[in-house]
Amino acid sequence: MWQRETFKKIKQIPGEEHVLPGTALCAGCGGLESLRLAAKVLGDDVIYVNAAGCFTMLAAYPYTSFKGSWLYTTMGSAPAGAQGVRDALDVLIAKGRLPKSENLKVVVLGGDGSSYDMALSSTSGAMNRGLDFYYFCYDNEAYGNTGMQLSPATPYGARTATSPCSLQHPSGASQEKKDLFEIWRAHKPPYIATVAPRYPLDLEEKFARAAAFPGPKMFLALAACPTGWLYDPAETPEVAKLAVETGLWPLKEAINGVVTHTYIPKRKPVESYLTLQGRFRHLFEPTVQTDTIQHIQARVDAYWVRATREGT
Amino acid sequence: MYAVRFHGRGGQGAKTASRILGTAAFLSGYLAQDSPIYGAERRGAPVAAFTRFGREPIRERGGITHPDLVVVADASLIGDPAARISDGITEQTILFINSPLYAEQIRTQSKLPGRITTLGVTEIALQHFGQREAISALLGAVAARLAGLQQEPLRQAIARELGDLGLAPPIIERNQTVALTCYESVQVMERESVAEPANIATTFHTPVYESPSRGTARISATGNSVLRETGGWRTFRPVLVADKCNGCWLCFVYCPDGVISMNKDDRPVVDYAHCKGCQICVHECPTHALVAEREQEGRVAWTAR
Repeated sequence: MWQRETFKKIKQIPGEEHVLPGTALCAGCGGLESLRLAAKVLGDDVIYVNAAGCFTMLAAYPYTSFKGSWLYTTMGSAPAGAQGVRDALDVLIAKGRLPKSENLKVVVLGGDGSSYDMALSSTSGAMNRGLDFYYFCYDNEAYGNTGMQLSPATPYGARTATSPCSLQHPSGASQEKKDLFEIWRAHKPPYIATVAPRYPLDLEEKFARAAAFPGPKMFLALAACPTGWLYDPAETPEVAKLAVETGLWPLKEAINGVVTHTYIPKRKPVESYLTLQGRFRHLFEPTVQTDTIQHIQARVDAYWVRATREGT
Repeated sequence: MYAVRFHGRGGQGAKTASRILGTAAFLSGYLAQDSPIYGAERRGAPVAAFTRFGREPIRERGGITHPDLVVVADASLIGDPAARISDGITEQTILFINSPLYAEQIRTQSKLPGRITTLGVTEIALQHFGQREAISALLGAVAARLAGLQQEPLRQAIARELGDLGLAPPIIERNQTVALTCYESVQVMERESVAEPANIATTFHTPVYESPSRGTARISATGNSVLRETGGWRTFRPVLVADKCNGCWLCFVYCPDGVISMNKDDRPVVDYAHCKGCQICVHECPTHALVAEREQEGRVAWTAR
């Protein structure tokens, strides 16, 4: 049974903010909420290496919301940028040109378009080289910054700008969400975790635990997205909660490849999650697409049957 | 040619309103063109969209610098320099402001040139839809009226554009009905002949190459995003009913922008200069100690520095 060791109570969450307000990110952004909570553990001695995406708006010239440093890269090369920064810091410290006290944590920020798609090879390389860094993927399941186009993280049945509900494809997106957690796990990095903004203690605990592991520390954060998923911004925590409670977004970690589920949901029917969001409205109106909904439910059920059998 | 510029906040439907107007003009037999500003527009951030229509082929492209009509979807944009509402406005320009205030009040407060007309479209939308930020059809209707288009092409244009967004027929029908109410209610201004802009810049500036160490934008400050106030994004503000609060911290924890802090008595303090009004705190408060209050115009709800 997985237990939190550092963060047991809500009031242990540090009050100081490390991602300051005034950004142009959408009101109610679930990705920002995840990052903000993560930064409370990471602190200010951080250099963020940001792949192009929604989080570009965190430090759009001439304003930055970070007290630490921020470096901007293309969508495909953030982990390579992180390698350069890490090496530079290591060399400067080894030569005595930078005091050890000024060492920084290197944190990659990438959306799902970057993480699941364009930066997959450079992430693979960085993990393979055992780069000492954090990877924070804010997953809103589409290319959100350019207007919600299909990405490999888009789940089956979601409507995006490039997977509309049509006669040929009544379900919208007709491919399954890529399992990035398992792709990462195949590289055997010391720490991987999934987090969701509605589970702040679980999130804080995982960032606190990861600090003990030298090497790649990989995070997949659910970025519930009012703009792209088409729900009222006030419902971001509700949507994130239902993603976890239906079993669609399992909260888990993998330490040196060994998976532990950090929360076992009772598994509400997937409809409760789908009906909240406009991107799934076509599954219920004008007619209910029972097959598609059952397909989504069956996939979740199969996942948890496997997870339970493996005793994780 | 008739040139209309829409200003709104991302999510209010300025872009769709511009499309509705363009389609309505096209269905009325005009040649029409519409386009939004492409940028990193965000729900709540200032956005703009442009519609041109006329009997002659339209050669002009890009943003509208000399509008005949400016439609402002959110009165809080007037005070936001980033929105650039006053660009190219003359005494002849018709300015529509979505506000329940009288035109005269807006004129006195904003000191904008141009002939101002107002209608509380958000109030009408809240009354009929019970929802914030669903006013594209209503803005399109107001613009169509002020630009002199008829009702029938407007109705068809709304059906077409909202249909493309995947809205269900009953919702589209309701939008049409309420849009026509707005069409009837807005006070019409006669168009005055607009003097041709004296000079349109035709010179091109070729950027000089600089190496990335010089040529890329660099921010040397830390944490200066707080200088950029986002309080004007709100339609509703969270307000604390102090005696209901049990000091649970959840509002502080769930606020994505980190604008809620807890004071020494464990009560939330909202930074209204930056709160974007997402209402997560109101939605999540277990004791309903935070309530949503409509932002009041005319009262100092939020001021830009």
